[in-house]
Amino acid sequence: MFRSLLIANRGEVAVRVARAARELGIRTVCISSEADLGASWLEGVDEVVCVGAAAPKDSYLRIERIIQAALQTQCAAVHPGWGFLAENSRFASLCAQHGLTFLGPGPGTMEKLGLKIPAKQAMRAAGLDGIPGSEGLLGSLEEAREVAEATGYPVIVKADAGGGGRGMRRCDSAGELESGWHQASAEAEAAFGNGQLYLEKYITGGRHIEIQILCDAFGHGIHLGERECSIQRNHQKLIEESPSPALTPEQRSELGLKAAKAASAIGYVGAGTVEFFREPGGQLYFMEMNARLQVEHPVTEMVSGIDLVKQQLLVAANHPLEITQDDVQLSGAAIECRINAEDPSADFRPTPGKLEVYEFPAGVGPGEVRVDTHLVAGDTVPPYYDSLLAKVIAHGATRDEAIETMLATLREARIEGVSTTTPLHLAVLMSPEFRRGEYDTASIPGWSGEQVANH
Amino acid sequence: MPHPPLISIGRPRDAVLDEKTYSKNVEAMREKSGVLDERRAEVQAGWGPKYEERVHAKKKLTARERIEELKDDGTRIFEVGTFVNYGREFGRVKSPGAGIVTAFTRVEGRWTMVIANDNTVASGSWWPQTPEKIIRGQEMAIRLRLPVIYLVDCSGLFLPEQSRSFPGRTGAGHIFKKNSELAAAGVPQIAGVFGDCIAGGGYMPIISDRVYMTEQAYMVIAGAALIKGAKSQQLSSLDIGGPEVHVHQSGCADVRVPDDAAALAMIRRDVAKLASPAYDFYRHGMDAGEPFFPPHELEGLFPADHRMTYQVEEVIARLVDRSLFWEILPGRGQEMLIGVGRVNGLYMGFVANRQGVVDDPEFHGAKKAAGIFYKEGIAKVSAFSRACDADGIPLVWLQDISGFDIGVEAERLGLLGYGSSLIYTNSTNSTPMFTVLLRKASGAGYYAMAGHPYDPVVQLSTPITRQSVMEGRTLAIAAFNTKLDDDFEIATTDPEERAKIEKGMRETEQRIEADMDPYQAARQMDTDEIVRFDELRAWLEVFAEASYQSTGYRRTKNPRIWSLHDIDALSEPRG
Repeated sequence: MFRSLLIANRGEVAVRVARAARELGIRTVCISSEADLGASWLEGVDEVVCVGAAAPKDSYLRIERIIQAALQTQCAAVHPGWGFLAENSRFASLCAQHGLTFLGPGPGTMEKLGLKIPAKQAMRAAGLDGIPGSEGLLGSLEEAREVAEATGYPVIVKADAGGGGRGMRRCDSAGELESGWHQASAEAEAAFGNGQLYLEKYITGGRHIEIQILCDAFGHGIHLGERECSIQRNHQKLIEESPSPALTPEQRSELGLKAAKAASAIGYVGAGTVEFFREPGGQLYFMEMNARLQVEHPVTEMVSGIDLVKQQLLVAANHPLEITQDDVQLSGAAIECRINAEDPSADFRPTPGKLEVYEFPAGVGPGEVRVDTHLVAGDTVPPYYDSLLAKVIAHGATRDEAIETMLATLREARIEGVSTTTPLHLAVLMSPEFRRGEYDTASIPGWSGEQVANH
Repeated sequence: MPHPPLISIGRPRDAVLDEKTYSKNVEAMREKSGVLDERRAEVQAGWGPKYEERVHAKKKLTARERIEELKDDGTRIFEVGTFVNYGREFGRVKSPGAGIVTAFTRVEGRWTMVIANDNTVASGSWWPQTPEKIIRGQEMAIRLRLPVIYLVDCSGLFLPEQSRSFPGRTGAGHIFKKNSELAAAGVPQIAGVFGDCIAGGGYMPIISDRVYMTEQAYMVIAGAALIKGAKSQQLSSLDIGGPEVHVHQSGCADVRVPDDAAALAMIRRDVAKLASPAYDFYRHGMDAGEPFFPPHELEGLFPADHRMTYQVEEVIARLVDRSLFWEILPGRGQEMLIGVGRVNGLYMGFVANRQGVVDDPEFHGAKKAAGIFYKEGIAKVSAFSRACDADGIPLVWLQDISGFDIGVEAERLGLLGYGSSLIYTNSTNSTPMFTVLLRKASGAGYYAMAGHPYDPVVQLSTPITRQSVMEGRTLAIAAFNTKLDDDFEIATTDPEERAKIEKGMRETEQRIEADMDPYQAARQMDTDEIVRFDELRAWLEVFAEASYQSTGYRRTKNPRIWSLHDIDALSEPRG
């Protein structure tokens, strides 16, 4: 096993990775920006290397400096966590070039999964179908029309190189397709230098369900069940749970096995997530594969009892997986709430500042609680980075028990000095739709602007 | 450090050039690329649809259709020698591509050299320079130990021009010598005979390891037309040398197949039985990856005016995987850039000319114009070239050079000697070398950077390549030297004489300009192919894979034991 690990991340991510490393006897070195120097969570690592100024582009995204930090501190491996450089193939490649083991798949696999069409083709070859639409990139508007007729309107045209909503148009009719085609293509050409488009059926009101997979370097792949992440605001996940109320045990097993098989087939190594879209009718479509550990991985850890970061480290050091699919026993239900320093009454504006009081209760529910956080009372939340304060994960024998435990924990949690998203979580957890497990990505049950004022 | 310490190079396009300049460059370049595309299409059309139909009427495929059928799905064909004989007329006819297609073609994951008679041009007969083009393809194959596939459909020499393609050192017969050398070097050769295969053509397939004949094919020393009594006996060439004779009686061929498609399918099966390509092994565990900065941007990096400068780092950033590169000896001989990057996961050495001004190593704090060779640059390149040879790293020479420094100081420093050392190094290297004439390829600089006379495996030109001993302006100055003053201005004050000299100099310049046309070089085989800038990376990918495909014939070292590390270790004073 590696003697020293560089953690190329900050905050809660760094704390999570450092914990697993420490448990495996690995010395931890963490990078830091000037703004984070002296932060309480850095006390938990063995060594800190400052790599630049506060803004992420000057520190947490400076790939050459981070490599330098790893080499100077004699690290053998680099864990990118999630966000920042986790899916930067140039960084992954640079690590390998300098003899550093990158905790994630190879850069080629990462690039393939980062481009939509190659990823879909690879997954289709492995037996996972995407949302109906064009087989690949479209050659002409005429071809788009034919595919749209066959698929049925509404459709959405998307740029192959797209992202952030650019190069994307919803089209409800053949007439709209013509203008949407030209707009999306021009936008993508301008933004990404690549105006090529593909087309999919436009589906509203679906659910976001993802499978956690784990693959070793010897072609073995297993799945650890699913997470449902349909409670979202502006595409940001707020609440995740496992199992999903929308899957039957048979569907879970079938989808999981297919995802694990597909990941192995493309030569994936490490922990990853295969995302699916469940349309209101119940049909499941492959969306994309995330080549990294996810923020919401603790949900899976709580139901499976498997430490995903430890597994990542073992796999990266080329240990064969010791867990077989039959060893994976999922028990009970887990829910995660992301507590952000944002003001729900002011359109979720980030509220950095000093945490005057910061306490989570212990042992309040029928189930167990895990709090993943990097902060303690007295810490300051800086304005430069994402606003996540803590992830609260509740586990119970049943879904109801998990919800009860979460409600009790959030009600008694005391966070003062910054505004938080706790009111939104309470509203969702108490809503009848959420209690029944009937929700989708289109709306947030139990939550509307007015409730903020009432709270 | 035993890891080749590649780091990020290059900047985003908008940080290199403003949008207006970039667009202007792209526009100027696309006009030239458009001409290239048109001329390629013209060559590929052969003698036109009428002749294509004739081939189809015989239930045969054209040469290019055969290659399409042969290659792996989703790959492209990399033709060399497209413009051999371009624009030349023989009597009243032309010979597009010299009536032969030679192309790097991927078959069952292996790069092969396909040599196919163009049966839409005078029934695939051999023209002046056809043998030279075939031989050139065979040379490329033998250098990299790539399997050769001959797709034969050839009615023999184009007889009206026989005196120009038969007797010389590179006359048609030399093809069979190359066949023999390939065989002796252990390079697999496979031939498919698809139709006529007369006289010289008849010898071309025979030395191959496997020979397929379709039911329409015959191989003869002389066809029925030259056999006494053939008419009365109603003998056809097929009767004399068809598969019935050669597969079953003479043993000059191995397998009979019904048609083109069957022959091509069986050739693919043969190639699949060869040793697996080794290039994935030589990636040393790294995945291949595209450049981080898109290669198509090369189109806009080169200024429309050839006298303007650009940054060669930005060119390399758009050629190497993920735009990661290790520049070696960056502080010395700055007019030259040397270093290592990966192409398709495989290590390649790069030598390139910097443009603009660089530090003058002889005078601290002074600057010198780059784009030419000075002492330190030559020494640096020579040491690098030899180290890459010692390490088995294929070399890519990116030329944009006007020549060597001249003058009293240059002679005193012994540039002739340093230059000769580099020439010796390149001449005796055995690592595969590939030369790309990005723009200027002038004078001794063209030679010293592994230009065509120094046997690169392949030399590519671009639509803006200028090959010459010297630029037109320089030649005009040399030619009218006696009429010019110290600053190369016209000395006389007599307006009439002045006008005469100006006219003479202008004409000299224009004539040289015309001679520097890359198509002229390609026509007479002074370069192997003209490629678009946005295709350059794809060509380098082929060169990289082809260089690492076969094992055991050339030195390759794992990066731990490269001598390049020694150069690096000695380059900076420690402590």
